[in-house]
Amino acid sequence: MSSTKSGVAIASALGTVLLLGTVISAHHPISAKFDDKKPQTLSGVVTLVDWRNPHVHIYMNVRSNNDSDNWAIELESPIDLQAGGWTHDSVKAGDAITVSGITARNGSRQLWATKIVMMGTGREVLNITPPSPPALLANRPTPRWPDKQPRLGPSAGGVQGYWAFPSSTVLAEATANVPPMDQYGLLKNVADAKRVAPFQPWALALYEYRQKRFLQDDPTYLNCKPPGGPRQFELSYGVQFVEDRDRQRIFVLIGGGNNNYRIIYLDGRGHQGQVGGDDDNPLYYGRAVGKWEADSLVVDTRGFNEDFWFTNGGLPHTEQLKLIEKFTRENFDTLKYEVTVDDPGAYTRPWSSSWTMRWVTGQEMPRHLCQENRP
Amino acid sequence: MRSLIIAVAVFAACLTGTLTFAQEGHPLKGSWLGTWGPAKTHPNDIVLVMDWDGKTISGMINPGTDDAPIKNATLNPDGWVVHFEADIKDKSGVLNYAFDGKIENLSFQNRTIVGTWKNQRESGQLKISRQ
Repeated sequence: MSSTKSGVAIASALGTVLLLGTVISAHHPISAKFDDKKPQTLSGVVTLVDWRNPHVHIYMNVRSNNDSDNWAIELESPIDLQAGGWTHDSVKAGDAITVSGITARNGSRQLWATKIVMMGTGREVLNITPPSPPALLANRPTPRWPDKQPRLGPSAGGVQGYWAFPSSTVLAEATANVPPMDQYGLLKNVADAKRVAPFQPWALALYEYRQKRFLQDDPTYLNCKPPGGPRQFELSYGVQFVEDRDRQRIFVLIGGGNNNYRIIYLDGRGHQGQVGGDDDNPLYYGRAVGKWEADSLVVDTRGFNEDFWFTNGGLPHTEQLKLIEKFTRENFDTLKYEVTVDDPGAYTRPWSSSWTMRWVTGQEMPRHLCQENRP
Repeated sequence: MRSLIIAVAVFAACLTGTLTFAQEGHPLKGSWLGTWGPAKTHPNDIVLVMDWDGKTISGMINPGTDDAPIKNATLNPDGWVVHFEADIKDKSGVLNYAFDGKIENLSFQNRTIVGTWKNQRESGQLKISRQ
């Protein structure tokens, strides 16, 4: 390889690394829609800024011979852009810009932007830094209620907060042999699929099928389906526990799930639904009953429907899914989540996984509303 | 009889048309509607309801007074090849039907099974779509 070619190769590799760095906070797999092997740079004039979930779009006219084509430039969600200092006025209709990124797999005039430069000033305006968990200042003790039971929210009289920054955003059986995959659950090598969980043959084939399609069929992003099951603890916008001790129930508010919430009942009831309500319907979040065992909240959830993906990466499940979830607040800032998946309809035996989440203090949980029929 | 089957099929289509939920579990589970003709031994419209209990695929052809349970149903995920059989009463007795097909558009809610059927007298094409 000549020095020029090797330089191009290194630059290309660095570009890929930078690209991956910039997409890390995107809330759905960019690879589902865009091909990182198709880089492109476009210059043109902005015609519209569409500031909506799940992704902001800039539409721009790009000169092509004696004509012009209108391109859709896709960016992060409004939440992530605002966290990076953007507003809907950062780029306006009429601005001349140069955009670099990767183009759509289907050949349409769409581009995922990794760099935007204002042509008039040369100023780079897109600078999304992946959020990082707050620094741990000290090993603060677990906050507790007067009866010594751990609190899942703030300390008494303390400032509000929520749980985010999961140490893992994928679900795989807790073994020493978990295959490499990205933060969206996309395997580096689909041939490793059988190492992820003890699949039944049809479930393994369906998982591989979804992987080969780069997770583009994910109903959470296609149709705003709720992130039931362990997935609610894998998403980037976090969760919040509201403990209603008088009524012996806990609300789990889900930041990445359209303001959805889930109720965990601690009053000793079974898994029955509400008569005349959801009594005969399988649910996105199932029916959850829990109890405290020492310092851990143990939750038994069943009654799920099959209309959603219960984890990033597209592992299948059936209505026979039962989850045993264990929440342990190891210290003030760390919540350990352990889950055992028991679904004889899709897996050959129960299997388990775990990760931790970090307490984000003094901030409100982001409100992410999914909007259907968005490109 | 034919008009009754069609009425049942149309009713099922209307009913399931209002229930436009996706189904992301076992690919065969759910209600299917389509055609299996032309043939002299049965109407051309077919309603099929299938279920999966973790071990066995079960189901019913044309649920109602002339329904027929399916048996020996298999799904080979290598190519998503489907096979099932059913014993269906005819004026002259019981005919054994064998159905073979493939799932197409697997990721779609309204995925299809396209294939063939045969009994002791006839054979034909099968095309059913999940509702």
